Amino acid sequence: MELFIQFLTNTGYYLADFRHVIMLIVGSVFIYLAIAKEYEPLLLLPIGFGILVGNIPFFKGFGLGIYEPNSVLYYLYFGVTSGIYPSIVFLGLGAMADFSSLLATPKLMLLGAAAQMGIYFTFLCALALGFLPKEAASIGIIGGADGPTSIFLTAKLAPHLIGPIAIAAYSYMALIPLIQPPIMRLLTTRNERRIHMPEMRTVSRTEKLIFPAAGLILSCFLAPASIPLLGTFFFGNLMKESGVVNRLAQTARTTIIDTATIFLGLTVGASTQADVFLTTKSVGIFFLGAVAFSIATASGVLFGKIMNLFSKEKINPLLGAAGVSAVPGSAREVHMVGLKADPTNYLLMHAVACNSSGVIGSAICAGILWSFLVK
Amino acid sequence: MYGFEAISAHNGWAMAITGVLIVMAGLAILAFVISQLHKVATLLESGFNKQPNQTSEIKARPQASAVPKPPVLDLGEARRHLEPLTAGLGDSFELQHLYKLANSSALPHVHLLIRSLREAGVIIPAGDGRFTWQH
Repeated sequence: MELFIQFLTNTGYYLADFRHVIMLIVGSVFIYLAIAKEYEPLLLLPIGFGILVGNIPFFKGFGLGIYEPNSVLYYLYFGVTSGIYPSIVFLGLGAMADFSSLLATPKLMLLGAAAQMGIYFTFLCALALGFLPKEAASIGIIGGADGPTSIFLTAKLAPHLIGPIAIAAYSYMALIPLIQPPIMRLLTTRNERRIHMPEMRTVSRTEKLIFPAAGLILSCFLAPASIPLLGTFFFGNLMKESGVVNRLAQTARTTIIDTATIFLGLTVGASTQADVFLTTKSVGIFFLGAVAFSIATASGVLFGKIMNLFSKEKINPLLGAAGVSAVPGSAREVHMVGLKADPTNYLLMHAVACNSSGVIGSAICAGILWSFLVK
Repeated sequence: MYGFEAISAHNGWAMAITGVLIVMAGLAILAFVISQLHKVATLLESGFNKQPNQTSEIKARPQASAVPKPPVLDLGEARRHLEPLTAGLGDSFELQHLYKLANSSALPHVHLLIRSLREAGVIIPAGDGRFTWQH
């Protein structure tokens, strides 16, 4: 009988408290959103299930938890805390990316830069709310709308916040269809939304081949701390554009990125153990994450309007909203809002150019913040 | 410590302003460089031993001329190919669906084909971002 009671006291049913229940509900909501609503299912499904895995109550000291050295989850999580998974994800993203639209209209890169304002604004807000500078920088990077970059910087500066920051970043990325369109409509007139972008010129293969090298050198000379992200990103793109290593490029954009995404999502989800995750800081991070996304979207759109004041050739300010690096979600939203204003207005390719710029911009911002704060 | 006091104490203003300036300047430089890439590409493609007058001729060529012309197509024939593909999508359809279906049917120059049909009024807006065939 004593043995049976001892067994019972070690079960999850006995050890669970209300925080576990809350987190299990959160995980279930993520899984529901992924399957029923198809909101970023590639991310929300592994994260949601990871939340369930991480919030099964267990007896501490068994070497089961993600924060317990030598547990299986601990080793899988090492890919997150060391920044390995984000770097691998960027390799795959590079092998998927097509920079033709960006090379054809380089001025759209400025919109990608403008959208990074959200990062620094949120950084200031987080400082004002009492977060330490390294924590504030990790929270601010959520405004880049780039999950791997957020995780990478947080792993370097504030590893104890990886769970809430990753969950906030991916949650808001999944909610882009709800967050961005109202801001876009609020800040633009109908006539602005109907501005047609000129047809793009064709980009030669040589340009596409030069760009990864030129982009890497210019970006990483400026912010060397972004090498782990941009190095693999541009390498992946060169593999794709070179056409001589199709097998490698194909593997990078399918098997490799998929594998990294699975373990990244699952372990980030599992890192949200109730006792670590449910804190007032997490609430603050979620609030600031929403601020970061909104400001990033707004600053991109407003910068587009400012560019129109000085440019002979008008650009559609909606494109600024795609300056956040949520690929391809934000580009798709810009396209849809443009289409609603004028069914003949196709902004997708131009929005993808801003998206590509946003990816580079947010990685540079991560490098800048890391170099400011690393000691 | 909270508010402006916390920002000032942690040197937040300087970090934020410097960060914004660096990323803006960095991407502006990158934008400038890639705006010149086509010249480098032209130079590399034509080789360094090109005659100067040939190079300047290429430089003077407007960029728009590089855009390929839509293939000369009989729009009626194009419609005969595409209309059956949308039969399963209802009275109206999204262009992206038409594009995917046409691509999966291995039709050539799908994007240009759809654009030509749109411009010729063969495919017309049906509202809410959807389109239909002109009858």
